[in-house]
Amino acid sequence: MDPSTGFDVLPMAEDEPGHVPASAAFDRIAYVLRRLARDHKTAIVSAVVIVLFVLGAVFAPVLTPYDYNDINLSQRLSPPSLEHLFGTDEGGRDILTRMLYGSRVSLIIGVVPTLLSIAAGTLIGMVAGYVGGKVDTVIMRVADVVMSFPSMLLAMVVMYTLGDGTINVFFTMVLVGWAGIARVVRSETLKLKEREYVEAARIMGVRPTRIMLRHLLPNCLPTIIVLFTLEVPSSILTESGLSFLGMGVQPPNASWGLMVSAGRVFLYHAPWLCFAPCLAIMVIVLAFNYLGDGLRDVLDPHLQSQ
Amino acid sequence: MRGNATTSLLRRLLYSLITIVGVAALVFVLLRMVPGNPVATLLGERADAETVERISSSLGLDKPLPVQFADYVLGALSGDFGESFTLGKPVVDLIGPAFMNTLRLAIAAALVAWVVGIACGLFAATHKGALVDRLFMGISLLGVSLPVFMVAMLLQYVFARYLHWLPVAGISDWTGYVLPAIALGWGSAGSVARLVRSSVIEELQQDYIDTARAKGRTKRQVLVLHALRNAMLPVITLMAMQFSGLLSGAFITETVFSINGIGRLSVQAITGRDIPLLQGTTLLIAFVIVMGNLVADLLYGISDPRVRKGV
Amino acid sequence: MLNSTLEVSHLCTSFFTDRGEVKAVDDVSLRVDKGQVVGIVGESGCGKSMVARSVMGLVKKPGKIVGGSIVLNGQELTSLDDKELCEVRGRDVSMVFQEPMTSLNPTMRVGRQVQEVVAIHEQVSKEQARQRTLEILSAVGIPEVEARYDAYPHELSGGLRQRVMIAMAMIMRPSLLIADEPTTALDATVEAQIIALLKRLAHTGTSVLIISHNLGVIAQLADYVYVMYAGRIVEKADVCELFDNPLHPYTHGLLGAVSSLRSQSKVLQTIPGVVPNLANLPAGCSFAPRCDRCMAACDSVRPELVTVGAGHELCCHLTKGVDVL
Repeated sequence: MDPSTGFDVLPMAEDEPGHVPASAAFDRIAYVLRRLARDHKTAIVSAVVIVLFVLGAVFAPVLTPYDYNDINLSQRLSPPSLEHLFGTDEGGRDILTRMLYGSRVSLIIGVVPTLLSIAAGTLIGMVAGYVGGKVDTVIMRVADVVMSFPSMLLAMVVMYTLGDGTINVFFTMVLVGWAGIARVVRSETLKLKEREYVEAARIMGVRPTRIMLRHLLPNCLPTIIVLFTLEVPSSILTESGLSFLGMGVQPPNASWGLMVSAGRVFLYHAPWLCFAPCLAIMVIVLAFNYLGDGLRDVLDPHLQSQ
Repeated sequence: MRGNATTSLLRRLLYSLITIVGVAALVFVLLRMVPGNPVATLLGERADAETVERISSSLGLDKPLPVQFADYVLGALSGDFGESFTLGKPVVDLIGPAFMNTLRLAIAAALVAWVVGIACGLFAATHKGALVDRLFMGISLLGVSLPVFMVAMLLQYVFARYLHWLPVAGISDWTGYVLPAIALGWGSAGSVARLVRSSVIEELQQDYIDTARAKGRTKRQVLVLHALRNAMLPVITLMAMQFSGLLSGAFITETVFSINGIGRLSVQAITGRDIPLLQGTTLLIAFVIVMGNLVADLLYGISDPRVRKGV
Repeated sequence: MLNSTLEVSHLCTSFFTDRGEVKAVDDVSLRVDKGQVVGIVGESGCGKSMVARSVMGLVKKPGKIVGGSIVLNGQELTSLDDKELCEVRGRDVSMVFQEPMTSLNPTMRVGRQVQEVVAIHEQVSKEQARQRTLEILSAVGIPEVEARYDAYPHELSGGLRQRVMIAMAMIMRPSLLIADEPTTALDATVEAQIIALLKRLAHTGTSVLIISHNLGVIAQLADYVYVMYAGRIVEKADVCELFDNPLHPYTHGLLGAVSSLRSQSKVLQTIPGVVPNLANLPAGCSFAPRCDRCMAACDSVRPELVTVGAGHELCCHLTKGVDVL
């Protein structure tokens, strides 16, 4: 393995170094899966768990006979039973149903803003690293400012300004999330910029946008994928925390954080209200973390020591 | 050499200052993007236009934004952060005692995180690949993956409500800090343990470890006197940043355990739409984080001779 | 009175990997007499460093000494536990490593690192230990010792660092110094200085076991030479005898690969191929696949060490041919 790039063991296209054609991309994916299956079985299990959660979220209406907002006061706070696997809440709503619908919120909030922050962070970080100079300094100062806020607090301030609601949660998470990603992508870009093939492309007059798209982006991709799997769980945690404090998703929508927050009042005589959503958060976050750990090992040895 | 060190210190200080001013400006602008007059929102529908105007002007809210910001910065520099809308007291008087509570909580949490984290990380590193190692690393990933409120509520349920060993909430004496400290420190313990482990394992593979062994040091002595010392360098940096994180990230812990700290005050300020109070707490938290990063940088420079001498 | 400082007999050190046992050192016997400089030469991966590590008791997992004995000053080392070995290491036997850049602790002042050896093995005051450290540092040719004492490793040049390593190894006046490729990482001029220093040390009565892939270094320092290949000793002889009358084809190859002013040939010879995988050695002579004088027997029968002259032993089927001639 070439220690300078770390992942040269992966099959690479010969013709244009740094550019990965589709067939090589398939080889890479196959290689990653093989390594994961050999050394990181937990990562494979985690991936399966994540897929199950996604299926549960998508097919929620099919999987459960109840509606997530079916209030049935005669069934208030009934403990887990065959009829209601995880029991019912203070409004007699089926907790399993609410959890399935809640997983839509958690997964969407975990994934969509993360994708957006990654897109923004990658673009900004790459430009900062590639262009350098004043642009870089200014961008990195701004990133510093954003990162000097605990993400929860910045999120709360933005929610305060914009009001609560799912779209605003999205916006907030992107506003908070891009900075850390930009930083990592920038340092990766700075490293790649020194590579001969990038230098050669520049000397031959290839346009900067093309260099970034064809040479820098594909080589940053492993890092970005790993960042993604590690950012998703932290977004899910942030969302659940915000909702727990009553500043995220608002009732009657279901979100795991919100369910815990609502169930907290009944913690002592109806603990199942909190139990199920807590378990769900724990499992999905763990799954993403394990997957991220495994992918980091396989894809990107630079990040290992962090 | 010395000149370089001083300029780099000055540059770092300048960057920190810029960051704090940036944070202040960002908060200021964000809070004033709220549609409608905050005073009107605050006073509710009962208030007539005249009262709203009078209070707005007494608070300086009718001036142009840059002027308001300048006023604010000047005030802040002389220790005047304005008066809380909702609690009717100067923000400084509210933040001071709250910060002391948060500080005590953060110290307790840091103790938990670092003692547990370093011990577990070290143990895992010296038993690399063994069952304990895998167990500890599994638990540490759990530490990073559990939402704070879950740990907090679980602790509260088991140790306070069920076993009655510790108070459910409040910090009337030191026992009140135990559960919140564990809840808050739990996640940090996980990341410290992981870093200590990887760092110690890396150091133990270095050539100088063989040299120390060849001198006649036992394995344990080599670990403590040589490997651990060097392995702690990155850990110290992490700990400095974590401490400022603990000081600023206690929103949920403080809320669950009803501790009147900065975190809970911020939550109250947001729910009460209390702009001056929120500005105050936000600025304080940002200041703490920037200082934490600065201290982390400096500590790293001091503790590693290679960095210290500018190599 | 004992004549030998170190007596290694039938040493076997193996690594236990997923793919089975790998014999890094296979039935190696060697002897270092008092005040003698003995060299082990061979390509990288031939097991010569493993011999050194075995003597030091510093074989890393999954490696293990599986047989043979190591006797230092009449004391059997293989039966000692780690605590007892710690008393021997640094005091009776010490080691200089290949990489002076990384073999010193980067965050500790070099003086303290040298002084540490004294503190481990003797009850002396700090002041005395410091004094002895300063003495040994100047003895190994470090200028301005007072200032260097407080320097960090990265502030010293490679040559100075290797001198510090030697000072560290010599401060307890051990009876045996093992130098594992002590000059490989250094410039040619610095190499000459370090060789001169090691030579001087040998004259003070310390026995030296020097390990190198560089026959030039061996020729300058050693009195007696062992040639190692694939974990085994293939030839051993007095240094002059070995250079004048090399018998093993591998030794021939090694000599051919050294440029010498005496040699008439303008072309450097090389040995074709690479050191074989120790996990999967040929049944016969390990060198057979690369040997240009390979015979039928070489592929199936493993040769043994046979005396072919005064103090000259050879492990090769060609000895039979020698006998016939």
